[in-house]
Amino acid sequence: MGLTEILTMSHELALIAALIILLISEIFSDEKSKYKFIPLAFALILGAGVVGLIFGKTGIIFGGMYQNDALRMAMKLILDLATLIVFLQSTEWIKHPHNKNRVLEFYLLVFATLIGMNFMISSGDFLMFYLGLELATIPIAALAAFDRLKNNSAEAGIKLILSSALSTGLLLYGLSMIYGTTGSIYFSEIKELITLNSLSMLGMIFFITGMAFKISLAPFHFWTADVYQGSPIAVTSYLSVVSKGAAIFIFTFVLYNVFGATSAIWTQILVMLSVITMTIGNLFALRQQNLKRFLAYSSIAQAGFIMLGILGQSAIGMGSVIYFLLIYIFSNLGAFGVVAIISAQTGKETIADYRGLYATNPKLSLALMLALFSLAGIPPVAGFFGKLFLFNAAASQGYYWLLFVAVVNATISLYYYLLPVKAMFIEKTDSPIATFKAKPYMALSVAICMVGLVVTGFASVIFEYLVSVSSGL
Amino acid sequence: MQSELLVLFFVLGLILSGGAIVFSYFIMPHSFNATKVEAYECGIPSKNNSWSQFNVGYYLFALIYLVFDVEIVFIFPWGEVLKEVGKPALVEILIFFFVLALGLAYAWKKKALKWE
Repeated sequence: MGLTEILTMSHELALIAALIILLISEIFSDEKSKYKFIPLAFALILGAGVVGLIFGKTGIIFGGMYQNDALRMAMKLILDLATLIVFLQSTEWIKHPHNKNRVLEFYLLVFATLIGMNFMISSGDFLMFYLGLELATIPIAALAAFDRLKNNSAEAGIKLILSSALSTGLLLYGLSMIYGTTGSIYFSEIKELITLNSLSMLGMIFFITGMAFKISLAPFHFWTADVYQGSPIAVTSYLSVVSKGAAIFIFTFVLYNVFGATSAIWTQILVMLSVITMTIGNLFALRQQNLKRFLAYSSIAQAGFIMLGILGQSAIGMGSVIYFLLIYIFSNLGAFGVVAIISAQTGKETIADYRGLYATNPKLSLALMLALFSLAGIPPVAGFFGKLFLFNAAASQGYYWLLFVAVVNATISLYYYLLPVKAMFIEKTDSPIATFKAKPYMALSVAICMVGLVVTGFASVIFEYLVSVSSGL
Repeated sequence: MQSELLVLFFVLGLILSGGAIVFSYFIMPHSFNATKVEAYECGIPSKNNSWSQFNVGYYLFALIYLVFDVEIVFIFPWGEVLKEVGKPALVEILIFFFVLALGLAYAWKKKALKWE
């Protein structure tokens, strides 16, 4: 194996190098100089993305364990962008005196999970897939428990690790059955060998269940709200966007490719999961007061919509899922960014606290409004186009009654997405949040999201590119 | 779909796992001894209950020990193939050592090696 072959995984190598650079700077820095390394973390994630973009090659190495193609490279870049936005949003929280002993550990853990996700996305067999999944999951539990002096945060960490242990157990059990029936762990071989027999179908169902835990599809969503509420905001946004996005990508890929021959079974399962997830996510989001919990249930409902795109079962299906993920990153991180700014400034996190925010902080209110409009799918923001293409993908396979359920759910979701908007713009209170100026990094992160929201919606070239690279699958 | 096979699969699974427990219950000698119910049958009588505080230093030491324990596991097969693979193997193990050394340096920096 030569050097040129190794360069196929240049994105992962760049991330590993970044991790080592951060570790060395942690070892050789003292208490005070640590904050100087925060911009270094931004530069490293940007650098890793650039290296992946320039040196990244398509190819299959390690005897089929690792594969890279244009779609995977695009997905990795999307995850890099989301991580950069999360890093920008976390600056105020990480500078808090509580975190003074573990500033760089936050970045180290995030880089570790990102490496795991990249390997998971690029996996060509179930072994690499599983290793990547574990590397992506375990540091996240440490991240969720990062505010270790808060009981909520410790609870979030333990709940995350317990639920992921259970889901990983189910997943591995399913994979062992698939190995038992086909005698292979390579995606390309299983694709040829898999047949409709009861044992391999049981394995597939266990696989779907295990992944449903990671993507937090109902009825496997119970850990989501507590973990999202307890974790620090930066970690919550990372969990709800990056970690979920990577899991959805590989889930879609495995369903299309490995279980392509048995799609008659898994489409039925996905239809049911989609209906339950959308409905439960929406109904629970209706009565949330805490914005983090509110966004947790909203992200459950969004995962239900994403299942519609997966049901498209074609390049358009895959393209619409990735396109929606890109838009979802901008809208969700935009919303979380505003919540993070206000929480860092005032410590307030409930919808009632946002009353009269437009009068005191008009820019933040407008940003939150745009992000929520995008999540709800109101034109002209990008979320509308994202949902449109997802629905389009499902309609192309003739799931009309499922579309009807989805449209009803989208209408329900309008109500609760507009609740914070109503609080900010219409409701009055005697003591609104005072006018303040957001810190530059955090303002920048929200600005990136807002630009992304407008641009991705109108630049149809992005969607066309994603569909064209998906067609090779 | 052969759903009979699926039922058979579950029934066999239950019989195999449950049967082993029931069978061993019938063939084992039923003698009671107080030491048998202890958590650790190491000869030293255990005392106190398990919800006690202990120095977290033990835990950190165990973690660092584990890092080097795993290192040995990798070095043995490496030594076996070193002659065949040649230079690349040497470079790879040096990278591995470097990363491990960084881990130790990190633990040192965080005062994990200091007994308080």
